[in-house]
Amino acid sequence: MEPVIETKGLTHIYLGADNNRVTALDGIDLQVMPGEFVAVIGANGSGKSTLARHFNALLLPAEGSVKVHGLDTLDENSLWKIRQNTGMVFQNPDNQIVAAVVEDDVAFGPENIGVPSEELKARVEEALRAVDMLDYREHAPHLLSGGQKQRVAIAGTLALGSDCIILDEPTAMLDPKGRKEILNTMLKLNKEQHITVVYITHFMTEAIQADRVIVMSEGRIEFQGTPKEVFSRVEELEKLGLEAPLAAKFAFELRKSGVKIPEGIITNEELAEALGSR
Amino acid sequence: MSMQLEHVSYTYMPGTPYEKEALKDVSLEINKGEFVAVIGHTGSGKSTLVQNLNGLLHPSKGTASLDGVDLSGKTAEAKQARSRIGMVFQYPEHQLFAETVYEDVAFGPRNLGLDPEKVEGRVRDAMKFVGLDFDTFAQRSPFSLSGGQMRRAAIAGVVAMNPDYLILDEPSAGLDPGSRDAVFAEIMALYKKRGIAIIMVTHSMEEAARFAGRMLVICKGKVILDGKPAEIFLKEKERLLQAGMDIPEVCKLADALRARGLRLPYEITDAKRLLAEVKRRKGLK
Repeated sequence: MEPVIETKGLTHIYLGADNNRVTALDGIDLQVMPGEFVAVIGANGSGKSTLARHFNALLLPAEGSVKVHGLDTLDENSLWKIRQNTGMVFQNPDNQIVAAVVEDDVAFGPENIGVPSEELKARVEEALRAVDMLDYREHAPHLLSGGQKQRVAIAGTLALGSDCIILDEPTAMLDPKGRKEILNTMLKLNKEQHITVVYITHFMTEAIQADRVIVMSEGRIEFQGTPKEVFSRVEELEKLGLEAPLAAKFAFELRKSGVKIPEGIITNEELAEALGSR
Repeated sequence: MSMQLEHVSYTYMPGTPYEKEALKDVSLEINKGEFVAVIGHTGSGKSTLVQNLNGLLHPSKGTASLDGVDLSGKTAEAKQARSRIGMVFQYPEHQLFAETVYEDVAFGPRNLGLDPEKVEGRVRDAMKFVGLDFDTFAQRSPFSLSGGQMRRAAIAGVVAMNPDYLILDEPSAGLDPGSRDAVFAEIMALYKKRGIAIIMVTHSMEEAARFAGRMLVICKGKVILDGKPAEIFLKEKERLLQAGMDIPEVCKLADALRARGLRLPYEITDAKRLLAEVKRRKGLK
């Protein structure tokens, strides 16, 4: 199987405050496979967002390469194809809405690439249904909640035909209900439509739901693995300015005090099962 | 000393088809020395509420006042009262504008008409408070700082005004856990040392539980719950969920443990306390 995203020795350098060369990404080797749900965590400034912007050629490598569906992002002729294949959703829902009506906003992308109007209609409808926003098709986006706006943004990428969606802290500005809506929407799209998901977040309770968690630090991949593997490394995460989920921290502390509990506990339910009497 | 809202209603764009009543007959009092968390879903009216509290918006009906002075007034007294209330907006780093951190933090105190020596004293104090070393950072461009440092510089600009009441709109949004803890350590130090009131809008139930002594839950323009965070999280779970809110992770973990037969005291909203109780149940000290 060909990876959806493949980077080899990806390095990104930008000019900092006093014309210093700052290495934001330092030789990243990474593969994201079709249908995977990958969470990326890391402290502010660790390179997460820079990495994500390489996945749909918003940034280009200084060294190394990025391939999306086998297409090199340095090849200008592939840009449009790459950007249709990998949709991007940003942190602030208000910065990515362009139209005055929800369905026009979702139609904006596909209309621009010349999708015929009958198909356009069908695509918009299908995309809005997939994110459970069909009832709001004629609403004004600015009157929606944060979670609803983000779902409209997700629908926009689906209507464009993206089979991979990259989300850069999509829930940072949302209330608890909005956060659940976005995570559940992405889990559903991943499971039911096999959409590949790259999900950057500071919320470990969200990262726990991914197939794989990548931990970034200072422009490098510090370590990666299943949520169980990654979140069991409580002390290492804290050193990187991150934190393990509460249940993992409890398991760690209890083990340190001599309570015998199994390795790899990261959810409340697992901890309760290990400690409970029934 | 207190700030007060008496029967405050606020309507956006009155008399137009877009008219929206964002606050409905809200009355409350916040005393100096309190730490109040304000929670509510997007569009619930929390931002309108805090902007009425600091005189940026004036009530459509009712009055907002500080120690009896109407904040909507045009008198010198009203202006003085408004200057005692500081506001740190969401993503305050977007409001940095000066060429150096020093100039940015000095902007407010200078506008108060303080002499240069006093201004420098205020800048030094404020930078110290937010953990930015004066010699390292004062002459640097605020735009060369990291995200967490930029936010601290922006908070320093408000702290330099020596407010008696400090309103923070989601101070931790978009920060990693380490930077978040650092920002809160500074906010708590400020709160304890200066005895000011802090009013904090947040989407994080953890932060409300950990830091606030009082919590307001806003829903559809009304204050639907007002009390100690721990009590609200324990007794009003259903109403919180209905209002689009949640309970802290520690309460969820405690519920999961109880469901599996672990006998734990009912009133736990603190992770350290829960851990201690679990250890006790397992025969450890």
